[in-house]
Amino acid sequence: MSQGEKQRSVLRINLDILNAVRDEGEAKPTHILYKANLSHERMVRYLDDLTAKGLIQMKQEGENRTYSMTPKGVGFLIEMRRAESFVQGFGLAI
Amino acid sequence: MPAGAVITFSLNLLSAVVALLTSYYAYRFNRLVGNPVLGAISVGFALLGIGLAVDAGTSLLTGRLLVEFPADRALTLLASFTYLTVQMAAYLVIAVGYGRAVYRGAAKAAAPVVFVGWAASLYSFSLLSYFVSVVLLAFVVFQGLLLRSGKKNGMSSMVLLGFALILAAHLMLLLSVLTLGTLLFLFGTAVQFLGFLSLLVFVVRSEVVVPG
Repeated sequence: MSQGEKQRSVLRINLDILNAVRDEGEAKPTHILYKANLSHERMVRYLDDLTAKGLIQMKQEGENRTYSMTPKGVGFLIEMRRAESFVQGFGLAI
Repeated sequence: MPAGAVITFSLNLLSAVVALLTSYYAYRFNRLVGNPVLGAISVGFALLGIGLAVDAGTSLLTGRLLVEFPADRALTLLASFTYLTVQMAAYLVIAVGYGRAVYRGAAKAAAPVVFVGWAASLYSFSLLSYFVSVVLLAFVVFQGLLLRSGKKNGMSSMVLLGFALILAAHLMLLLSVLTLGTLLFLFGTAVQFLGFLSLLVFVVRSEVVVPG
């Protein structure tokens, strides 16, 4: 685990993953890995968790696996953006 | 009803609405984020909103200002004591919340210890309340500056400006109690409203954030 990872909260990591997925529309695991700065093992765990919560969905085509946002995930991300903006206003961080 | 009471009623009622709105958003986002400071902000602003609403109601019902120390009605005295006590409690909760955010990692937060002695009269209690509020607000502004250092943005500037204006207002309110100045009291109430207005702009702007 890198020093940067240690300092990030679970919520922050989930947000980084969701942002990466949203930016791509249909994101490949390698892109998420790079954008969210995670080890492969941890990324799989977080992706499984977000999929189980219905925030993202997985699409498997042969060997290729991609992730995209669900409407619930889009709504969650908007609410989290609001929360982040509010929290930052008080000098805090997520 | 005297103009001063109408102004105090209107400004304090609007400030109460903003305080309760801020409390609601802090509560709502705390459920998502789970930050204890947001919990403290939610409770603190809820108390402030209740206190301001009580003071607005007192001005409306009696047609007199707190600084005029109406001692002729037990209910008015009770309402004024309630407002001042709730206000001190509110700023104490916010100050402790901010203190914990700045000093987290230490074994215990360096929470300010406030001893509220028995006050025989509304006048001395008002002096005590405004003085304690000024000290707590100065602490909040200082902690806000510390938290903000290195990550400046427009949103945190608005919150800091809001708290700074409320601090300036409480200095004026303290002076108005000392000098029994009605005009200074009204001016302080107006500056306090401007502080809450700054918080309102911040709350509205944080609500309209869209994914970018």
